[in-house]
Amino acid sequence: MSNTLRPYLAAVRSTLTAALTLEDFASQVVERHNKPEVEVAQSKEVLLNPLTISRNENERVLIEPSVNSIRLSIRIKQADEIEQQLCHKFTRFMMQRAESFVVLRRKPVKGYDISFLITNNHTDSMLKHKIVDFIIQFMEEVDKEISEMKLSLNARARVVAESYLAAFNS
Amino acid sequence: MILLESHNYIIQTTLAEKCIKPSSLDVQFVDFDGVRFRLSTPERKTSLLLSMNIRCWDELVKYGVDAVLRREYGGRVKAEPEPDYNVSLEIDLEQMPPEGEERDAYIKSIALLKRNALAAPFELAFNAQKELEAAGSGQGDLMALHYRDEEVIYVQASPDRVTVIFSTTFKEETDRIFGKVFLQEFVDARRLPTIQSAPQVLYTTREPPLEIRHLPGLTDSDDVGYVTFVLFPRHFANAAVASSTISHIQLFRDYLHYHIKCSKAYMHSRMRHRVSEFQKVLNRAKTEAATVDRKTASGRSMTSR
Repeated sequence: MSNTLRPYLAAVRSTLTAALTLEDFASQVVERHNKPEVEVAQSKEVLLNPLTISRNENERVLIEPSVNSIRLSIRIKQADEIEQQLCHKFTRFMMQRAESFVVLRRKPVKGYDISFLITNNHTDSMLKHKIVDFIIQFMEEVDKEISEMKLSLNARARVVAESYLAAFNS
Repeated sequence: MILLESHNYIIQTTLAEKCIKPSSLDVQFVDFDGVRFRLSTPERKTSLLLSMNIRCWDELVKYGVDAVLRREYGGRVKAEPEPDYNVSLEIDLEQMPPEGEERDAYIKSIALLKRNALAAPFELAFNAQKELEAAGSGQGDLMALHYRDEEVIYVQASPDRVTVIFSTTFKEETDRIFGKVFLQEFVDARRLPTIQSAPQVLYTTREPPLEIRHLPGLTDSDDVGYVTFVLFPRHFANAAVASSTISHIQLFRDYLHYHIKCSKAYMHSRMRHRVSEFQKVLNRAKTEAATVDRKTASGRSMTSR
């Protein structure tokens, strides 16, 4: 793990752990509604201050807490066109499977690549520290996965080009 | 399978099968670049008719495809092709060579029908290069081959080389980006000492190369790529080398796109694996609902209805 990644992940981990103090909270505006307040955003007093943690200008995490839900959005590093495309493919692939990833949001928040929405129902049915572990592991591995995919693409391209051109020798 | 084969597998296997056991048949099938084939027995079981439809036939006729096919297949080329098709070959199973290598070679030569048809402009260019070399100067004609809807092969002879330019379109953003990576590797691969003698490869996206810049009707879009191969006389020094060069270079476009699709498929299977790994991590977070077997006073299990 590189030198800047460790404090970055540690900061996300402690912020997320602190923010994940959620309780059941029925809507103050509409009777018999119980919705994630961070998404509805109809009563200002239950929203907490959003917080951005940046590793550099291309990688950052936005954490938006509220009384009964928190929204966490990740911007993944994209150095060039290939990484952009791979990142887009990967996050899309995951978000299409959002039902099985209960905490995943179907659409990212504007300016970010992938968003998670954790509500009080999730913290009731799941262990809080394990949810945090999941998010941190996701952040660690998504970068690795994208750079490995890029390497494998380059390696394949090289083999393909070499075997095509080598056939001219025979 | 890294390299694609230039013969048609269906023709090869069907013919080999029918040699052993003739029966009536009527099959239609396709090959790369929208080439259509039909293999049928219109008269009797032992006389097969193989017809081919190829998009750029009119252009091929201009470049002398008739002579090439007549040289390869002799009298088997029918004077009148089947309707809807451009060329028909008549194959008499009774006159097949005896079983063994000879027959395999015969069948293979028929399976190479598409390759032989597309070889015409290349052979013409190789001959033109020899003439130009003797003359010492001049330029051969720029031969265009519209082998797909939006994609063209240009072949041009010069006194010291033959230039082959492929234009290719990438239908998707991902294809375009992957294509760029692949083409860049084609350019870089020549630095390796083992393949120094391969033809020189150049590529541009959007900007057409100088040779074809004057042509009307070139698409101006980011999705278009141009790949130039510079073939030197050593690539067609004798008949065997020339024919392997032709078979090989014809399939360039299919080869490139085939491998782009392969890497996309690989990425997909990789993502599938990775996502299932993430799924496992998240499932670990779920607390298991305690399932206690509740008993009634008499000792029977309670079931909810």
